[in-house]
Amino acid sequence: MLSVKGLTKNYGDNTALNEVSFNLAKGEIVALLGANGCGKTTTVNSICGLIDWDDGDITIDGMSIKQSNAYKKQIGAVLGGCRNTNWRLKAKQNAEYFARLRGFKGPALKEKISSLHTALGLDEHENKEILKLSTGNKQKAALLSALSYSPEYVLLDEPTLGLDFQTVDSLKAIIEQEAKQSGQSFLVTSHDLGFIEDICERVIVLDKGNLLFEGDVTALKQKLYAYELVIEYQDNRLDDSLTASLWNQRSEIFHDGQRTIIKYDTPEQVTSFISAIHSHDLPVAELQVNRLSMERAYQTLINTTQEASA
Amino acid sequence: MNLVINELKLQWIEMRQYWFETITSLGFLLVMFLGVFFGIKGFVLQQGDNQTLDSLIFGFLLWTFASTAYGSITRSVIEDTQKGYIEQLFMCPKGFVGLMLSRSLADIIPSLITVTLMAYLVMFITGNWLNINFLAMYAILLLSAPSLVGFALILCGLTLVYKKIETVSAVLSLLLMGLVAIDGLPFNAFSLLPFASGATMAKNIALLNEPFIMTHLLIVCANSLVYLGFGIMIFRFFEKKAKRLNLIGQY
Repeated sequence: MLSVKGLTKNYGDNTALNEVSFNLAKGEIVALLGANGCGKTTTVNSICGLIDWDDGDITIDGMSIKQSNAYKKQIGAVLGGCRNTNWRLKAKQNAEYFARLRGFKGPALKEKISSLHTALGLDEHENKEILKLSTGNKQKAALLSALSYSPEYVLLDEPTLGLDFQTVDSLKAIIEQEAKQSGQSFLVTSHDLGFIEDICERVIVLDKGNLLFEGDVTALKQKLYAYELVIEYQDNRLDDSLTASLWNQRSEIFHDGQRTIIKYDTPEQVTSFISAIHSHDLPVAELQVNRLSMERAYQTLINTTQEASA
Repeated sequence: MNLVINELKLQWIEMRQYWFETITSLGFLLVMFLGVFFGIKGFVLQQGDNQTLDSLIFGFLLWTFASTAYGSITRSVIEDTQKGYIEQLFMCPKGFVGLMLSRSLADIIPSLITVTLMAYLVMFITGNWLNINFLAMYAILLLSAPSLVGFALILCGLTLVYKKIETVSAVLSLLLMGLVAIDGLPFNAFSLLPFASGATMAKNIALLNEPFIMTHLLIVCANSLVYLGFGIMIFRFFEKKAKRLNLIGQY
């Protein structure tokens, strides 16, 4: 098991990670979520041994990764920024090079590389060096390298960046298959919450270096609002305290000039508010009721925490 | 050994895939040498000093070797930091230094073959046939190469933190010419410079057929060990700094 224990990293006065702790068990697929700069990449880079942290520890089966580099044999990573492959080599050559770097070789490896190469849709680019590939295909080549030697722990930093829907689906299938059949563990950071929702059993949310939430996707979704009402008044808006009193159960109200945005859980919550607008005869320029996607709902969670801490 | 084979394979793939670059760089090296050789030949022959001409050819071979030994990992780190995958190299289970040492060895082996071929080509073109004991030369160069690798590791460490050090690297490449030309043996102040004693010993034994002196060998080995150890130490210092400041791969 990979354990991150009280990981803390500061850059001067800025805190990149503040006592972040979580586990990644064998065969588990876990998402690491958060806005830009929340500490996701710092966490992944720390596990890869690319960053020295200030406090806490990272252990694999109880042994600190600071004790030896040998653990890197069982780590595969796609790091952010297309910096994962030798651009002068082809995808398969890269995969073989990085596997050999960790001591893996032989016909089984070549077979695995070939099957992944096909599954990722790289066959038609077989004879092209990485530098001649599109961004999406470069990402596929990086995935090929990271998965080729079946590492126990795979860290994927924004793996769907630049990938088309078809490849994202293939990637989902590959990750699920590898986790189930080979018992590989995946830690995935992504802004593509649809992707996360489909494959991840557990979600860790970071915000400004702090662990905001850890639990399964269902528990996260329970914390998130399901609907959003956006109303834009033509002139005066409904009194703020009255507006607040009309929303029983859980809700959040934001006022922005003529606009009011309300996030809430159930459809029936909206009726008394609409009724009040009608009874006060307030002219409305625009009214929208949206079912929130997981992406937008998750952003609400971040905003709520930020306001609470403020 | 697995790492060295991997690096040799990588080199072979790159040389084959970019064959034009491979051929032109060898051609450039040859043309450059011929230019220097025929430029100096007239001057030297007027003085009736054939020994200087032989030393010039041998010095060129040593410089070719030294440039490779020194340049392989500095070039690699500079290129991989700027446009590549240095983070992935840092994830090598044998450690980044282990990987760079393997890369150096993988560069030095073909470099010895290149030097041998270049030697015969140069002797054929110039008509100046030298009696070189290649086996002795290989042995001494392999013993003295770690000093250059250590020196290169210092530059690699600087690259991790300061990123753009091409100017320093280019100046040091030129200084290598001096290192292969000066007399580092018997022991004197120049013996303290990297590779100088090794280059002198190679010239004395492989070219001038002078007798083997154990003290000289010890000086060469000590020079190699000290510079390699010092290079690894300095590199680790900068590596730690780069990891603390999250600078690895940032460019």
